[in-house]
Amino acid sequence: MLHKCHLSKSCFSLCVLTLLLGLVFLAAPQAQARDTLYLAIKGEPSDGYDPTLGWGRYGSPLFQSTLLRRDANLDIVKELATDYRLSEDALVWAVTIRDDAKFSDGKPLTAEDVAYTFNTAAQSGGKVDLAKMDKAVATGRHTVEFRLRERDSNFINRLVSLGIVPRHLHGPGYARNPVGSGPYMMANWTEGQQMVAVANPYYYGETPHFKKLVFLFTDEDTSFAAARAGKVQVVVVPQYLAVQKLPGMKLHPVKSVDNRGLLFPMVPNEGKKTATGAPIGNNVTSDIAIRKAINIAIDRKALAEAILEGYGRPAYGVCDGLPWDNPANKIEDGNLDKARAILAKAGWKDTDGDGVVEKDGVCAEFTMVYPADRAIRQGLALACADMIKPLGIHAEVLGKSWDEIKPMMHSSVVVFGWGSHDPIEMYHLYSSSHAGEGWNNPGFYRNLAVDEHLEAALSAPEYKAALENWKKAQWDGTTGANTHGDAPWAWLVNLDHTYFVNEHLDIGTSQIEPHGHGWPITANIQQWKWVN
Amino acid sequence: MNGFAAYMSRKLVRLALLVVMASMLAFTLVANSPIDPVTAYLGIDRMQISQEQEQLIAERWGLHKPAPERYLLWAKNALSGDLGQSLAYNEPVATVIAKRFTTSLWLMASAWLLSGIIGFALGVLAGLYNGSWLDRCIRLYAYTLAATPTFWMGLVLLACFSVALGWTPICCATPPGVSLEEATLWERISHLLLPAATLSIIGIAQIALHTREKMIDAMHSDYALFAMAQGESRVGVALRHALRNIALPAVTLQFASLGELFGGSVLAEQVFSYPGLGRATVEAGIRGDVPLLLGIALFSTLFVFTGNAIADLLYRSLDPRIRIGAQEAS
Repeated sequence: MLHKCHLSKSCFSLCVLTLLLGLVFLAAPQAQARDTLYLAIKGEPSDGYDPTLGWGRYGSPLFQSTLLRRDANLDIVKELATDYRLSEDALVWAVTIRDDAKFSDGKPLTAEDVAYTFNTAAQSGGKVDLAKMDKAVATGRHTVEFRLRERDSNFINRLVSLGIVPRHLHGPGYARNPVGSGPYMMANWTEGQQMVAVANPYYYGETPHFKKLVFLFTDEDTSFAAARAGKVQVVVVPQYLAVQKLPGMKLHPVKSVDNRGLLFPMVPNEGKKTATGAPIGNNVTSDIAIRKAINIAIDRKALAEAILEGYGRPAYGVCDGLPWDNPANKIEDGNLDKARAILAKAGWKDTDGDGVVEKDGVCAEFTMVYPADRAIRQGLALACADMIKPLGIHAEVLGKSWDEIKPMMHSSVVVFGWGSHDPIEMYHLYSSSHAGEGWNNPGFYRNLAVDEHLEAALSAPEYKAALENWKKAQWDGTTGANTHGDAPWAWLVNLDHTYFVNEHLDIGTSQIEPHGHGWPITANIQQWKWVN
Repeated sequence: MNGFAAYMSRKLVRLALLVVMASMLAFTLVANSPIDPVTAYLGIDRMQISQEQEQLIAERWGLHKPAPERYLLWAKNALSGDLGQSLAYNEPVATVIAKRFTTSLWLMASAWLLSGIIGFALGVLAGLYNGSWLDRCIRLYAYTLAATPTFWMGLVLLACFSVALGWTPICCATPPGVSLEEATLWERISHLLLPAATLSIIGIAQIALHTREKMIDAMHSDYALFAMAQGESRVGVALRHALRNIALPAVTLQFASLGELFGGSVLAEQVFSYPGLGRATVEAGIRGDVPLLLGIALFSTLFVFTGNAIADLLYRSLDPRIRIGAQEAS
C-alpha cells in the first residue's frame, strides 16, 4: 500500500514535470514575433556579400538586385531592367534600367553603377566569369551597353546573377557592409554565427512581409536541435533527417538539379599522363558497351528511394527539368537483361567462371571513388557497385579526399555532383576543348558533333536560340552526350533539398534549385507570408 | 638592473628566431600540402568558371609566383606590419585575427581562471589529506580528465546540459538574433559556460596533480615539521606556511599552459560553434588560406611565448632566490 502511494506520488510529479516541459515547448514557437524570421539554411559566405566577387549567384543576392531574374519556372523576367536588346551581330547588349530604383542609403541607382559593377567584377578575380566581356559603358542615365569580345549567348546569365553595387560606396570594406537596392539591407553580421537583415525602406518593389530576417550559420545538428526547440522557422536538413517529425513544422521538399552521377574515363589506357603526372584512360570504361550496360542496369528509382529516403528523383542528364534539358535523355533503366545483351553483343563473356566478364584478356573491373566525407555519395557508389555486379562488372569502391581523387579522376570512375542554373556547365563537362583541364571534362570525352553543337550554343545570337543547340549537344537524333549517344556519364539521381518550414509560414512556389551552397530558397522571399 | 636588461634582450633574440622558424615551417607545410586554394575557393562553381577566370583568381592571390618568392614577399610585408589578405575571409589577416581573438579571449580567459582556481584548490586538498578517500577521489578525477579528449568532453556536456536538460544554449556566443554588442552580460556568460568548462578541464587535472605533489613535499618539509612540533595544526601549517610556497609553481604552470589552452580552444570552439580564432584556424586549414594560417601561427607563437615569459618573470620577481642565484652565477 505504502509502496503504491509512493509510486503514484512520483508518477504525479513526473506528470507535472512533463506538463510543464510540454508547456515550455508549446509556448516557444508561438511566442515568436510574426515579423521576424529565423532561418538556418547554411551557406555563410565567409568572404562577404560582394556580388563582384560572386555573392548571390544562387537564388537572390538579397541586399542587391539584378538586372534580370529567373521566376518560379526558371523563365527569365525583368528586374532592374525595363528593356534589353541584343545587337544584330550579337556583340552588344543594350539594357534600359528602371528610374525609380534606389540603394538602401537613399541614393538613386543609375547606369553608371551598373557599368561599374560589371567592369569591376570582370577584373576582380572572384567567382564571376566575365572573361568574354570587353567592357560595360553607361550610355545615358538609365541606359547601359555591354560590349562583348566574342559572341556569347550565355552572357545573359550574368545579367541574371550579378547584383548591382553602388559605385560611391564600393571598396575594400564593402563585402562586410553591403549596400544595395534589394528587398533587405544588412543590420549586423557576427561572422561564423549569424547575420541579421532588415527590410530596405527604399526598395522599389513590394515591401516584404517580414521586417527582419535572422540567418543562423550553425552546424547541421545544431540547426536541427534549434528547430526542434521551436527557435527557427526555416531549417534545411539532410535527406535522411527529412523522415523525422518536427513539432509545429512541415516538410518542404524542393526539387533540384543538385545531381550525382558516375563519370567514366572515355579513352583507353595507353600509358599517357597529364602535365601533373596523373594517369589517363581506362581500358574497361572506354568501351561504350560497358558504359551503356551500366547506365541501363542501374535502377535509379531504387537509388532515390533507398539512399535519399525518397527525397530525390532519377537523373538522366546534368540539367534535368531546366529550360535547356533535352527530354530525349530519359531511358528505361533497371533492365539487367537488356544490359547483359549489350555486353554479350560487344564480346564481353565470363569464360573462366569467376563472375566477372572479360574481353580480349581484359577483365571488366575498375575503381570507383567518392569523396569519403559524403554519406550520400558513398551510398550511391556502394549501391551502384551492387547493381552492376550481376552483369559481371566488378567495381572496387574507395572513399578518398578530393585532393586524392584529383590525380585518379582521369583513369577511375568518380561519383561527381553538379547541377547549375547556367548551361555553361554543360560546355565545361562535355567540350573536348576542355578535356582533362582541371575538373573540366576529366574523362577526356570527345565528340566532334557535340563540340559543334556546344560552340553553336555559345555563339548563338540569343539565349532562346541557344537552348536548341544546348539540347542538341545532349542528343541530336543520331549522336550526343546522353545515354543514347556516347554515355560519358551515368547520371544517377537529382536530390530534393529538404527544408522544414513553420506550419504558419507560406513560402510560395520554390524554383528547381541548383547544386550549391547559397540561399536559393530565398529567391522569392518577397512573397513569403505568415498565415494563422 | 643590468642583468635584467641582458636577460630581456636574450629573450627577444630567442623570440625573433622562434618567429622566423615557426613561419618558415608553417609556410613549407602549407605550400606542400595537396590543397589547392583556388579549387577550395571555387568548390562547385568550378564548372561555371573558365580557365582564364581561374588564372585571374590565382593572380589576385599571388599564387602564380614560385613558393620561395611568395614566402620572401610575405616576410617582407610582415616585417613592415602587413600580414596580407586572408583568402577565405577577403579581409586583412590582422583584422581577422583581432576580431576572432576578442571573441576567443572571453572563452580562454574564463577557462584559464576556472582551471587555475579549481585545479589549485583540488591540488591543495588532495595534498593536505594525502592518502585519504578525498585524495583518492581527486586523483581519480584528475587522471580521468587528463586522459579525456577535449572534443569528446564537449560533446558529452552538450548532450547532457544543452540537449537533454536544456539548461545551456546549444551553440554560438550569443542567442540567435542578438549581436555581440546587444547581448547582456548574462547572455554572454550562459553561452560561455559549457565551452569554458570543457576547455578548463585539461588545465584542472594538470594543475591539481602538480599542486598535490608540491603540497605533499611542503607538508613534509623541515619548516612544516617544525611548525607542527610547536603545536600548529595541519590546516594551520598549510594555510600559513605551505600555501605561499606552492602557489608559485602553480602560477608558473598556469602561465606555461597557454599553449595547451590555445590548442584546446580550437577543438572546443568547433564543438560549440563558437566563432573564435579556433574556428578560423580550422577554416584556414581546410581552405588552404596561407596568409591567414601564417598569421595565426605567428600570433600563437607570440601568445605562447608571452605566457612562458610571464611565468619566468613571475618566478624572478616573486622568488628572490632565483634572482640572487642568477646574479651569483653571472
